[in-house]
Amino acid sequence: MDLLSNLALGFSVAGSLTNMGFCLIGVMLGTLIGVLPGIGATATIAMLLPITFQLEPVSSLIMLAGIYYGAQYGGSTTAILINMPGESSSAVTAIDGYQMARKGKAGTALAVAALGSFFAGTVSTFLVALFAPPLTAVALKFGAAEYFSLMVLGLVMSVALAHGSVIKALAMVILGLLLGIVGTDIYTGVPRFTMGITQYADGLNFVAVAIGVFGIAEILRNLEDEHEREVMTKKVTNLLPTRAEFRQMVGPVLRGTGIGSVLGILPGGGAILASFASYTMEKKLSKTPEEFGRGALAGVAGPESANNAGAQTSFIPLLTLGIPANPVMALMIGAMIIQGIVPGPSVVTDQPALFWGIVASMWIGNLMLVVLNLPLIGLWVKLLTVPYYILFPIIMAMSSIGVYSVNSNAFDLYAVAFFGLLGYAMVKLRFEPAPLLLGFVLGPLLEENLRRAMILSRGDPTTFVTRPISAGLLVVSVAVLVLVFLPQIRKRREEVFTESDA
Amino acid sequence: MATKPKDDTDMVAGLALMAVAAFFGWQTAGLEIGTSLRMGPGYFPMVLSGLLFLLGLFVFAKSFGRDGEPTTPLAWRGMIFIISAPVFFGLTVRGLGFVPALFVTTLIASQASAKMRPHYALILAVTVTILSTLIFSYGLGLPFRRFGPWFPL
Amino acid sequence: MSLSKLLGAVSVASFLAAPAFAQDYPARQITMVVPFSAGGPTDTVGRLVAERMSADLGQQVIVENVGGAGGTLGAGQVAKAEPDGYTVLLHHIGMATAETLYRNLAYETLDAFDYVGLVTDVPMVIVARRDFEPADFPAFVDYVKANADSITMANAGIGAASHLCGMLFMQALDVPLVTVPYKGTGPAMTDLLGGQVDIMCDQTTNTTQQIKGGTIKAYAVTTPERLDVFPDLPTVVEAGMPSLEVAIWHGIYTPKGTPAEVNQRLSQALQSALADEGVIKAMADLGTAPVAAERATPEALKAHLEAEIARWQPVIETAGVYAD
Repeated sequence: MDLLSNLALGFSVAGSLTNMGFCLIGVMLGTLIGVLPGIGATATIAMLLPITFQLEPVSSLIMLAGIYYGAQYGGSTTAILINMPGESSSAVTAIDGYQMARKGKAGTALAVAALGSFFAGTVSTFLVALFAPPLTAVALKFGAAEYFSLMVLGLVMSVALAHGSVIKALAMVILGLLLGIVGTDIYTGVPRFTMGITQYADGLNFVAVAIGVFGIAEILRNLEDEHEREVMTKKVTNLLPTRAEFRQMVGPVLRGTGIGSVLGILPGGGAILASFASYTMEKKLSKTPEEFGRGALAGVAGPESANNAGAQTSFIPLLTLGIPANPVMALMIGAMIIQGIVPGPSVVTDQPALFWGIVASMWIGNLMLVVLNLPLIGLWVKLLTVPYYILFPIIMAMSSIGVYSVNSNAFDLYAVAFFGLLGYAMVKLRFEPAPLLLGFVLGPLLEENLRRAMILSRGDPTTFVTRPISAGLLVVSVAVLVLVFLPQIRKRREEVFTESDA
Repeated sequence: MATKPKDDTDMVAGLALMAVAAFFGWQTAGLEIGTSLRMGPGYFPMVLSGLLFLLGLFVFAKSFGRDGEPTTPLAWRGMIFIISAPVFFGLTVRGLGFVPALFVTTLIASQASAKMRPHYALILAVTVTILSTLIFSYGLGLPFRRFGPWFPL
Repeated sequence: MSLSKLLGAVSVASFLAAPAFAQDYPARQITMVVPFSAGGPTDTVGRLVAERMSADLGQQVIVENVGGAGGTLGAGQVAKAEPDGYTVLLHHIGMATAETLYRNLAYETLDAFDYVGLVTDVPMVIVARRDFEPADFPAFVDYVKANADSITMANAGIGAASHLCGMLFMQALDVPLVTVPYKGTGPAMTDLLGGQVDIMCDQTTNTTQQIKGGTIKAYAVTTPERLDVFPDLPTVVEAGMPSLEVAIWHGIYTPKGTPAEVNQRLSQALQSALADEGVIKAMADLGTAPVAAERATPEALKAHLEAEIARWQPVIETAGVYAD
């Protein structure tokens, strides 16, 4: 009954009129800013941090948390409507969500994303409440070898993101890994691939790369032949999903929630994999895998749920260990410290009202988001009827501000231009951007953990198979690899046979 | 004699991959490789460059013997204006300040479409600039100078 | 109407002439560049101080995060800024170590800046995973010496506080340990909590709550005096290792050529911020304290920076690690 009394405490804190108000402000601000291309949760929270100094600690954290998941919601909207992902998670949503929008099903895609996220948010909030401390113990079992094997699994899965040639997708993953390495090597301090530009010493900015290869490439593609082709289907059929579509999304949402909740707990970058992993799983389980990449409903429902579940459970390492799982969490720690609360293992016991208040506010915030966003869908879809030649200068202006606001680094803007060109070249040569982005995110983690594991094991490579969790992950990787390539081999053999029959 | 079928897109794609791989490989040359057990900063990139080159070769080789899909024209006008917009913003946001830099950036980007009439572009740029200044500079308090030192007062 | 016009003209004139008329300073908002990303410990110190300095100056002091390359990008940007007192830099010990760590720094540390004052000295604690054997600091030193080749020492990357302290530690004990670099303190602390690495030396900002929670084991503090938060923890000086004394000090700088009156005015605002109850309490929670008023002065910071550059140069050169 501990849990019930704790939750009651949480809801009494989060349910107060003031805190509900701040939660509402947070999710609204987050949504609004998340919708603007190029401005993600990190930039938003950094901007709004000073405002929260004047508030009570609980209120300010509730508001910041609201901004965080509000911005993620908004980011998915942008990914679906204009193919501009602001974070690695929404890059996956962009693949099928944008295709749905182009087919006139933007409303359905947005509704599916909203409902899936809400469900995932509800479940994972309860997971946080129930299992935060034991889950933390599991997360600490993950050392360098385990993270390396996890990233290998992620890479193996990334191939399934492709809907064209698997070889070309692999090439993009590797190019992404190489681009991810740009910057100073943390082990030796040697700059790699920076072309002597100190501004890239900490690596390329994710938002710059994502906006370039996804968004700008798409704008350029649309500008190729303005006269002949309509960019978007103006006719938007129905806003809400049909009964059949509801049934289609149940499975993906459930599985996505599960995957996201588990991966979100890992502080070393597990949450990054959540939406990618869910996408791979849905594609493998689907009876119609050929629909993926062309507007599959499950390709939006699964990853969006996984992403939101991961976003909630990534609060676990923050609240129980005081360790940030991502830059947003790092900002939250900063906010807590300024408020005089130093996050750490003792927060749960020392500040139960704060801890449970935040947990409860997560659920309230998610509820508010659904209530806010479902009616807004109509408005967002209307946005697509704005002529494209008016829309894209606005997109360019917002992206420029957004990218610059992250680190006040003009070189990030030059990177946007460069990756815009690269992305367009990729479109022309029929390469897909999603595997590149996954490689880019995983590259540094993969190399870092590989080298760290080798240092910790004193150069013994068997460390990856003698540590049980690591070995297990590698076995799963091999299994996925077989699952991905087996159908292809079989198909080729069938082709061979039919040819010889003829 | 008819030419043998080949997929031009994939042929170029394969060549491009090999070129990129060669570039990264060349950049890796100055880095210490180390051994598998004691990896240097160059080890991982070198392995990746090698793999990328092989994949490029594979794509290139497979492009022969089958027909490609038709290609679409390049968006030259779009490339010139869209790409220069963020670059201009980056070059001038400190010197000119947020307001003028954003105004010109929007104006440049709007030139990418042949459909954009000059006076519409002006109206659009003014609107975007005013709204963004209100939202970002006044509303969110971003630490940008609205008018920079280059801007004649 | 004409009065307001006149007032407007006067304010424009005083705005243009701001550097010359330091008595009108500050006439507009001041940007405090923090050369690290938002949310980190340095950013936290910056925002704490900036907020209270605003109150004293009567103008908003806003924090701009210009992260990258160990703080040298942000510092380089301030070095090139107008010396009018409207751009200031808050930097930590990295200001002194970068001079040696980065062999092609874009600015000359001692020639490019003027000084406002020191802000705080954050002590460091030598910590280990919770099940690390030795019972106290002398036993710890003996144990590390005896098992040098099996002990791993984590740090948060080249130039980080934990890396600097780690170098001092290994040089003081004269044992090379296997160092395991991480990207930032978060992941390094995670692995220490999980027992994946053995020891680390890091700021109280990062370690206090973990030590209190019993998730890591503390052996010694690197300051001359014991800390109020851990009265039982011995200092390295008590243990006879004064060369291990180190603190992560923070200072505020202005670009070279800023009028002396402006620096004095900023220093005064800094002193008032450091005397603020809220700042003192927030810093205490982090296991640190504001510096005494006489150290929050331009002279004190200048002297300290010069001394620290001289101190770290041989340490870094001996270790032979560079960040460029």
